[in-house]
Amino acid sequence: MSLEAIVSIIIQGLTLGMLYFLIAAGLSLIFGLMDVLNFAHGAIFMVGAYVATTVYYDLGGGQFGAYLPPPLAPTLLKLGLKGGVALVADSNVRFVIALLAGGLVGVGLGALIEWSMIRPLYKRPIFQILLTLGLAYVLSELVRNIWGFNPYNLEKPAALAQSVEVVERMVPYYKFFLIALGCVLFIVVYALLQRTRLGIIIRAGVQNSEMVQALGINVRRVFTVVFALGAGLAAFGGAAAAPFVGVSPLMGMSFQLSAFIVVVIGGMGSIPGAAVGSLLVGLAQAFAAYRLSPLVANAILVGLMGLVLLIKPAGLFGAKKEGGH
Amino acid sequence: MKDVQGAGVRGQGAGVRSQEAGALKKLVRKLTAQWFSLALLAMALLLPVLVNKFYLGLLVEVFVLAVFALSYNLLLGYIGIISFGHAMFFGAGAYVAALTLVRIPWKNLTQSWALPRGPELFMSVVPLLVIVLGVLLITGLLGVLIGIVTLRVRGVYFAMVTLAFAEVLAILAASSELRPFTGGDEGLHDLPVPAWISPTAQRVLFYYLALAFLVSMYLLVRRIVNSPTGRVLIAIRENEQRAASIGYNPFQFKLIGIVVAGMIAGLAGALHALYLRNITPETTLGVGRTIEALLMTIIGGVGTLLGPVIGAIVNRLLGNFLADQPLFRTTWQLILGIGYILLVLFFPYGIVGTWQMRRLDVRGGWRRLVRLVKR
Repeated sequence: MSLEAIVSIIIQGLTLGMLYFLIAAGLSLIFGLMDVLNFAHGAIFMVGAYVATTVYYDLGGGQFGAYLPPPLAPTLLKLGLKGGVALVADSNVRFVIALLAGGLVGVGLGALIEWSMIRPLYKRPIFQILLTLGLAYVLSELVRNIWGFNPYNLEKPAALAQSVEVVERMVPYYKFFLIALGCVLFIVVYALLQRTRLGIIIRAGVQNSEMVQALGINVRRVFTVVFALGAGLAAFGGAAAAPFVGVSPLMGMSFQLSAFIVVVIGGMGSIPGAAVGSLLVGLAQAFAAYRLSPLVANAILVGLMGLVLLIKPAGLFGAKKEGGH
Repeated sequence: MKDVQGAGVRGQGAGVRSQEAGALKKLVRKLTAQWFSLALLAMALLLPVLVNKFYLGLLVEVFVLAVFALSYNLLLGYIGIISFGHAMFFGAGAYVAALTLVRIPWKNLTQSWALPRGPELFMSVVPLLVIVLGVLLITGLLGVLIGIVTLRVRGVYFAMVTLAFAEVLAILAASSELRPFTGGDEGLHDLPVPAWISPTAQRVLFYYLALAFLVSMYLLVRRIVNSPTGRVLIAIRENEQRAASIGYNPFQFKLIGIVVAGMIAGLAGALHALYLRNITPETTLGVGRTIEALLMTIIGGVGTLLGPVIGAIVNRLLGNFLADQPLFRTTWQLILGIGYILLVLFFPYGIVGTWQMRRLDVRGGWRRLVRLVKR
């Protein structure tokens, strides 16, 4: 393999890994803290991508989807906000707004799901899993009904549309943007967990949530916050992934599968584990996809996951007892 | 031991022979305890006279799905493990059946439309026998393999890992490398089903075949659940450590459960392939198939014998009815999904579970169901 191939594979792997991290971090924290494996996490990722795409094009003046609000730009003009129009005409601004909108919708969706559906079922964990799987199904059907079956493409904003030459290969700026975004979010999440009061509560809750409750902290509220933040992170990841992988109703499941592999390899409830696992899985996938087909690459990854489970069921950085409970 | 099972009132073997004077009376009582199942069966037997071919076809699908749900319920309801990869057995069965028909050069499979006789009958039955044996062998092996790996982990990990394995199988079946063999993501089409059981020309015969399949699988599952092995499975569901401390190896019994459930699901998949004559990776191996089984089991009642069957009937007929309404033409799956979520939230015992709760002494049934649900 030539040097340029290796470099481009590594860049591709890091990019994929960062996206996996955004899903796996929430998945892992939610499971670590409240023993809920959220099978709807990939669906939330997908919703984030759809929302961001919609907001981006809607602000740009295009009608998007059947049931969605009319283009915003004429409304702004009617209200006499010429400055607003000029602002949203800039694709970079629109892109930032779209990313934030995707993330915020994820936070709201996560909070709503936890409050209305997960919370009543804490005493019946089996039904929690059954519910989240059903939720994944409902969300993807909902998306199909609102946005249709066809995949969409979110264009890259002007500032990130160019490519740069790295070792004789053109690499889009967008990949570097995703890698940087992943690093920043890792640092933010890590700092949140290590340096803030909420983080201390979360880490204590991962170890023993009943004890935290007994010490007079409203753990249920922390549950809601973590679920919402995890969902927000996933939706934000989906929004950021949209220009990179395209938007389709099936994207949720395939990313979720990789995220599952990440958390099994990295270990449930550990953010560094999720980060290392994401990079491993992303790089392995990029390498395997270069030599073999992407389909076979996925199969190999699942084999890898089976191997980790057989040798070290708690994962590489597992914060939980062996093999769950 | 008699009543450990969440739903263990019905059917302690209706065919028990006894020399006592009240034997006949006992039999009658046992049969009347089964009145609902028997009424359903009688109705199913009479239906070909009453309804047209289209509905018979719909019912064939219902029967196939009911068997699939029965096998899923064996895992979820009686062993208490959540598999999100059960579709892999269904799909494996479907693919074994399809590949047997397509890749082996059978002679004169689809030519004579009349019921064959003599040596011809033998020759046209052989492919079906090969399918049945092949399905049992392949799904059995798959079950052992998957079981050995996945049973090392529990609970959500088990759900996750089984999902991953099923997806891998779907990915492999759809991969372009295997296209010459499996047909890639388009699957296999126009399977040469033997003419004498052609699902289109011999619809009524096929209907009775599917019905017989459902009834025999129902009886088989009932037999398993009421057997000593089945009792151990239920004991493991109730309290695995206790079952282990009594001296039963939970791993062994769970493995048996997975293999048996996998084989039954595989047979259902094979019949599915024979009926539709078209299979794709997404519709046989995809996670949607597992969700469907889950849906039917929950609708009917987890851990009840008749539940999955009722669930399959309700789910499929309701889905078909909704899809027929202009208002719900595109949204019926969404509506079923929302219905499923509401069911899990507010009505987790399903139709049969709730019915039995009403029928049993209320307190005892409640306690059993709460124990079943709160694990």
